[in-house]
Amino acid sequence: MKKQKPEQKQKVIAERKSCRAEGTGLSHYILMDQKSKK
Amino acid sequence: MRNKRTNKAVVTAPSRGRYVNSGNGPSLLPIDIGHEHYLGLVDPDTAFWSLVRKDSLAETLTDTRFLAAYQRKADSFAEEMSMLRFHLKPSAVYFNATERCNLDCTYCYIPSTMRRSGVHMQKAEVFSALRKLRTYFRKVVPPGVMPQIIFHGAEPLLNRDAIFAAIEHFKNDFRFGIQTNATLLDTDAIAFLTSHGTGIGLSLDGHTASICDKTRATWDGKGVFEHVVTAMERLKGYAGYNVICTVTDQNMRHLSKIVEFFHAHEVPACLLNIVRCTLKPARDVKPTDHTAAKHFIAALEKADELYRQTGRKLVVGNFANILVSILAPTARRLMCDISPCGGGRCFFALAPNGDLFPCSEFIGLPRFKGGNLFTDKIADVLESEPFRMVTGRKVEDITPCNRCAIRHFCGSPCPAEAHEVNGAMDKVGSFCEFYEEQARYALRLIADNRQDAFLWDHWDTDTDQTFKFSG
Repeated sequence: MKKQKPEQKQKVIAERKSCRAEGTGLSHYILMDQKSKK
Repeated sequence: MRNKRTNKAVVTAPSRGRYVNSGNGPSLLPIDIGHEHYLGLVDPDTAFWSLVRKDSLAETLTDTRFLAAYQRKADSFAEEMSMLRFHLKPSAVYFNATERCNLDCTYCYIPSTMRRSGVHMQKAEVFSALRKLRTYFRKVVPPGVMPQIIFHGAEPLLNRDAIFAAIEHFKNDFRFGIQTNATLLDTDAIAFLTSHGTGIGLSLDGHTASICDKTRATWDGKGVFEHVVTAMERLKGYAGYNVICTVTDQNMRHLSKIVEFFHAHEVPACLLNIVRCTLKPARDVKPTDHTAAKHFIAALEKADELYRQTGRKLVVGNFANILVSILAPTARRLMCDISPCGGGRCFFALAPNGDLFPCSEFIGLPRFKGGNLFTDKIADVLESEPFRMVTGRKVEDITPCNRCAIRHFCGSPCPAEAHEVNGAMDKVGSFCEFYEEQARYALRLIADNRQDAFLWDHWDTDTDQTFKFSG
């Protein structure tokens, strides 16, 4: 597990990432795993 | 100013947009996130966020380099949100192959008369429905994307033969999942479902039988805790399963223990879903917003503590989704916490008689039937008035969401609650502070660079960095 260091010294932190939207789920069921074969 | 990206007359107004919160400059609202050193600075329309040291707020708001960096991206972020909110096509169906259930859970959104004596779909009807859905999805789903069918309930395994036959027959057409109370999930069922790569969701509301039984029990009041725990043991090692815990006033004080219990049983992911108050019985177990938030966040901290101790994550999916909605809006997976929600536009629900609803949450509300799969065209149903009531529900039309900085991190769920509890679609649902606190907590995690511990591994594999500013 990677230990993450706080970056308290930065005056501003701003990020954004983007991808093709595939949101399909409602909150009764998790649709996160795409390869679930045992 | 707030609507500059949707109002061309304003966009072309003679302002170069050099100053924050005036003319054509960016709208950035400071928000208290409860962090010792940082404030949030958010453009509510584009879901752009930044974290600014409290002692540098004035400097940042007048920093032309920062403002210009955002201004260059603002329109593309607005377009991204517009695409996400208004231009997705359905790619999932919540398929109710039976109305019946062998449990009588307090908060179920399906009326008890349906669950007690409702109908099953026949195998031929299940197949016919899936053929119609396959034809529809072939027209609207992009190549390479497999639409998803979630067998939902009521209790789908009461109609097991029809469902399993469908999973086998249509295995090359859909990705399948099943949400079950686990009472009928025997070793044969698990062997079939796992060998077919079917996603499996279990429901469990406590780490002890006495807590769990308060909200989930059979019609004659018997608990089902042991059934679920047995299924969890059998599913250990299967990545495609998760457990849903519905958060009520009966179990919220135990959420940290519940997380500990899930982690000890090596549950790969869970949802700690706040109870939906669509039907009246659920309102009897509604927790207070801010108290639920306190226990929810404590449970998230417990999950992180366990991860640090063991190196094994228990992802709390509904919170991970809010975190992702901040870091990468288009990477979100669950579509409740966005406005309009995914109901009727990203997914819809099929009742056993073929009736179509925007979401399972509406199945007990006949007024929201948009049509019937066997007699109507899906495209027409999606444009029906009941569906448009849901797909047209926007945070911009809801108070206080229309002046809330985090409206696109929360989405003001849920339309069914808003309509049934508060009387109209332009009302909030049953919770507000619960979501507010989650967004604030998520931003605190980002300020402390702790976010990865709360997200599923490789969540950003297919994403591109579209903005990064640090000063």
